[in-house]
Amino acid sequence: MKIFPAPSWMPHCSGLLFALFASIATAQNSAGVEKFDPNNFPGFVMEEVVVPVPSEIFSVLDKLGEPNWKDEVNELIIPNTSNRTELSLIFGLIVAEGFVAVQAQDKQAIEDIGREVINVARKLGLEKPVSRHAKSITDAVQQDDWKGVRREFDQTQATVRAEMQRMKDSDLAQCVSLGGWLRGTASVTSVISKNYSADRSELLNQPNLVEHFINSVTRMPQTTKNNQLITAISQGLTKIRSDMNVPRGVFSLEKTNSIRKTSDDLLALILKTKAN
Amino acid sequence: MKKAFLKPLLLCCTLWLATVHLAQATVDEAYDHTMEAAMPYVEKGYTVRQDYWNGEVESGQKLALRHQLFKGNDYVFWLGTANEDCKIEISVFDSKGQPVHMEREESDFTSTVRVNPPNTGTYTIVFSVTSKKDRGVTWAISYGYR
Repeated sequence: MKIFPAPSWMPHCSGLLFALFASIATAQNSAGVEKFDPNNFPGFVMEEVVVPVPSEIFSVLDKLGEPNWKDEVNELIIPNTSNRTELSLIFGLIVAEGFVAVQAQDKQAIEDIGREVINVARKLGLEKPVSRHAKSITDAVQQDDWKGVRREFDQTQATVRAEMQRMKDSDLAQCVSLGGWLRGTASVTSVISKNYSADRSELLNQPNLVEHFINSVTRMPQTTKNNQLITAISQGLTKIRSDMNVPRGVFSLEKTNSIRKTSDDLLALILKTKAN
Repeated sequence: MKKAFLKPLLLCCTLWLATVHLAQATVDEAYDHTMEAAMPYVEKGYTVRQDYWNGEVESGQKLALRHQLFKGNDYVFWLGTANEDCKIEISVFDSKGQPVHMEREESDFTSTVRVNPPNTGTYTIVFSVTSKKDRGVTWAISYGYR
């Protein structure tokens, strides 16, 4: 199995942690599974939240029924931009669109998306590491190996984020995750609202993840934050976080639709099109 | 004078680079152990996430990682180390700090925990590697789902 680099914060963190903890006298006696209290935790809580890959969410939806995924596949018209922040958001969005196309088992859409993946990767200067994934996606589609296609889309996103982190572009890596998450949220909310149940709506209980994205945007350099798209995304995320503030993590149809609309609006802004 | 100074400096740099490389290799070894532990799960249909987390830390020091989990998925976390004779502990807690139902497996260099989250939300993975002889230990966490 290939070894992919760990997220960029971790190598920094590891040295820091060792230095930090080496200087602190600690007694670790408790062995285990009692209760976790963040306020009295005798250790280090990492600030980041692990961002799920789209296939984690889609695999749950698989178990909740058989939505008409063909209705969820969008035709992609990629805007002409050379702005790397925008391209990173677009890249994440395209990969997530690939997942929707896999759910729909739409071979033509996946081929089209594969081409766009390469085009945007080229503009980001990442054509070489991405092209082998694109070929594997094409091969897996030809063999009707849908699980393999999902896996390659996962790996494509991971490779691009790892390359960006290697190039010290962790903000861009976050934008890839964010673009993917927004597209995933739009399709998940669409599927839930078309066949609503409280069980399905629970998939939207991700307030800490939204908080993580808000913090990521807040930490971006001012030049990036001055981008109108980033400003709009920041406002949209705040609205989604507010909508996710529900008791017991169960979302009404109204809340689901509100999150869907915000995600759709942001995706339209990223693609410079009109929202549905 | 300059040349005499240069030679030991180069030697020091080479040694330092070699040490850094060795340390990195050891951290990678911890990751390799997690992948070995993951193999039986892959055969059972679990997808292993490409991202992983690793580092070095003081022996016994507890660390916590926050993770979004989805009800309906099964998750497996593999904690590995490259240090020998270690006690390796990993647990998963819900947003109220309660441990969630878990199945565990342990081997020489890894500890595996499988969870079936009762709700969708943010969970905390708490882990530590305790060595009797080493002050610092390596760790790596990988995870899979189905």
